[in-house]
Amino acid sequence: MDAKYLVSPSDRILVTGSSGFIGAKVVETVLEYGFTNVRCFVRPSSDLSRLKEILGRSQRGDGVELVCGDLLSRNDCEKAADGVSVIYHLAAGFDKSFAGAFMNSALATRNLMEAFMQHGEPKRFVNVSSFAVYSNLKLKRGAVLDESCPLEDAPQERYDAYGFGKLKQEELVEEYGNKHKLSYVILRPGTVFGPGKRDLSGRIGIDTFGFFIQVGGSNLLPLTFVDNCAEAVVLSGLKAGVDGEIFNVVDDQLLTSGQFLRAYKKRVKPFFSVRIPYALAYWVCALWEKYSKWSKGQLPPAFNRRRCAAEWKGNRYSNRKLRERLGWRPRVNLDRALAAFLAQFQSQES
Amino acid sequence: MLRIAIVGCGKIADQHVQAISRVPDCQIVSVCDREFLMARQLGERAGVSHCFSDLGELLKTTSPNVVHITTPPQSHYLLARQCLESGSHVYLEKPFTVTASEAKTLLQLAETRGLKITAGHNYQFTPEMLEMRRLIEQGFLGGKPVHLESYYSYDLGDATYVAPLLGNRSHWVRQLPGQLLHNVISHGIARLAEFLDDGLVEITASAHQSDRLRNLGGEEVLDELRVMIRDKSGTTAFFCFSTQIQPGLSEFRVCGPLNSILVDQVAGSLIRNQKRACKSYLTFFLPPLWSAMEHLRNGRRNILNFLGRKLYQDSGMTELVRRFYQSIRDGTPLPIPHREILLTARVMDEIFSRIYSGSEVAEKEQTEFSVV
Ligand SMILES: NC(=O)c1ccc[n+]([C@@H]2O[C@H](COP(=O)([O-])OP(=O)(O)OC[C@H]3O[C@@H](n4cnc5c(N)ncnc54)[C@H](OP(=O)(O)O)[C@@H]3O)[C@@H](O)[C@H]2O)c1
Repeated sequence: MDAKYLVSPSDRILVTGSSGFIGAKVVETVLEYGFTNVRCFVRPSSDLSRLKEILGRSQRGDGVELVCGDLLSRNDCEKAADGVSVIYHLAAGFDKSFAGAFMNSALATRNLMEAFMQHGEPKRFVNVSSFAVYSNLKLKRGAVLDESCPLEDAPQERYDAYGFGKLKQEELVEEYGNKHKLSYVILRPGTVFGPGKRDLSGRIGIDTFGFFIQVGGSNLLPLTFVDNCAEAVVLSGLKAGVDGEIFNVVDDQLLTSGQFLRAYKKRVKPFFSVRIPYALAYWVCALWEKYSKWSKGQLPPAFNRRRCAAEWKGNRYSNRKLRERLGWRPRVNLDRALAAFLAQFQSQES
Repeated sequence: MLRIAIVGCGKIADQHVQAISRVPDCQIVSVCDREFLMARQLGERAGVSHCFSDLGELLKTTSPNVVHITTPPQSHYLLARQCLESGSHVYLEKPFTVTASEAKTLLQLAETRGLKITAGHNYQFTPEMLEMRRLIEQGFLGGKPVHLESYYSYDLGDATYVAPLLGNRSHWVRQLPGQLLHNVISHGIARLAEFLDDGLVEITASAHQSDRLRNLGGEEVLDELRVMIRDKSGTTAFFCFSTQIQPGLSEFRVCGPLNSILVDQVAGSLIRNQKRACKSYLTFFLPPLWSAMEHLRNGRRNILNFLGRKLYQDSGMTELVRRFYQSIRDGTPLPIPHREILLTARVMDEIFSRIYSGSEVAEKEQTEFSVV
């Protein structure tokens, strides 16, 4: 292990959301890095199959401690944070309601940070955020979306409860971090893909109306393969000199949404889809948004200009900061990543 | 302009904000949650600057005319009492209180203080329920209902709601006497309470756990419930709650001595079933066509309501809030009589005492229940 890291192999590491898609991979990566004192936070209702499989095949898996609770309980947070040096915080609220998303993202994070300060031996708090916090409404198509891009200032209008929760979560991390001099790093992954996640990203299109509508096609997806994303998460908890920094996480090689959909249809299953150009989608979204306002919410503003831009406008993405400041390198290249993603459907079929 | 406050800034509070925003001459002036961050997040989104974590402070500082209480049921009684004592009218989310005796005390307190209180039985005010009430007032049934049937289903398909409470015995839903059922059946029971007498002579209830819930780690939580009720004047009622029935069901059938009505709250429709004499094979030909006409009528009405911007997902809540505020302003009768609120609470008490403590069932089965 690199001597310049903030922590030594025996320091206690906590991973929240460890039963989840990315969290389980983070646990695997942390173990690969040689940490021997790893604690995973899970809920009593969590499906542990993914995590157990990883612990089963990892050399140090036996030594991993599972702490069961809910981050909405301060007591459970105290149990989880006790004696911990680094927290990788991946738990998040995916609830469709704003209050629900806020609770499991922002409130849970506040509880965890407070417990960390009081009961931990804090060296770094890694907050896994998301691209959902950005607003590219005023960004030109094709412009680079990097860490300096403005944040969404009207999540309510975007009708994005998840994004709202993540935005408020970031605000709290910054507020608590700065107020209490707690070292933190914020990571904003793009679209994370890999085995274990079967859905097509909403950035490709919509299947709300009974058939798939592909929006645009030439827009680049801010993809990051789950192993590469986990590597970035783990590094950000170890590297000195990046306190308070924000990093976007996207891979080196990216695909357009059209390319991704073609590969998916070819390897997984062909299905009927209609393609509409971005300009038309934007126009329909603007109309929908207007109608929603005019009808006082008879139709919720599920389609609106902000969401349309965020999902389908098509920007370019940069991982320069991630490479330069964290020394991150993708573990898996695009071909292998895509093959691993698509292979899960074949293994399921057989 | 009525000054409104909301206490409890969880998921349901958003629905209240929307409903209130559609009602004229009122304004949300303050929000409160024991967890201040929750109050702040709602305040930010609803454009309300007065956010509190203490109800006493909210009442003192912002003197609201009406307080909407949207907290977990265990806190309803104390919070509502505090609001009434400080002179505010109260809209209390369902289930109204944990027990019927709490409900009775609150209703009496409101009466003695000359204040208004209502329960969040918003599904009683959807367009099709309003139409049902109109028809019954016009004598469509031909007399007092003979039999009532209320079906209410709840889909466990999305486990994000049930999973956390199944794994956690201290979850507030698990602390309710009727657990999961306690939090979801009031809408279905309130329909019956509207037409039943206060004197119930028979209630039998049976409940079990579905395989689905067992597989999710259901512990002692019950999610399939069937209830039979008979009141003093002989009206009978059947209630079915299920997490299994597909497609989702929310139906109410009122059978009268002359005609019957079937309300489908999922499709927003009302079917009039009229006694009409048909001869010979016409018995098979005409009634289906009359039914088809009824369905067409509903489809047409819903489309027109949509075009007229009147078909909200939660029309019932908007209508209940509107009527409640109107009753406060004009001193007109409440949209939900106290009698119905209390009877709903009483029936729920009886159901839970039967399904969660088996020994009481035999003893109580033939007793007369005076509910007022
Ligand atoms: N997937 C993506 O494309 C993507 C992109 C950008 C950012 N991210 C971020 O990456 C993180 C992980 O995402 P994911 O895709 O791995 O999601 P996931 O598979 O749904 O995992 C989320 C985890 O959070 C846990 N959790 C939620 N609320 C909790 C609470 N109150 N207490 C304790 N644990 C709680 C869940 O536990 P249960 O298993 O019990 O539900 C689950 O393990 C999230 O912060 C997400 O915002 C994801």
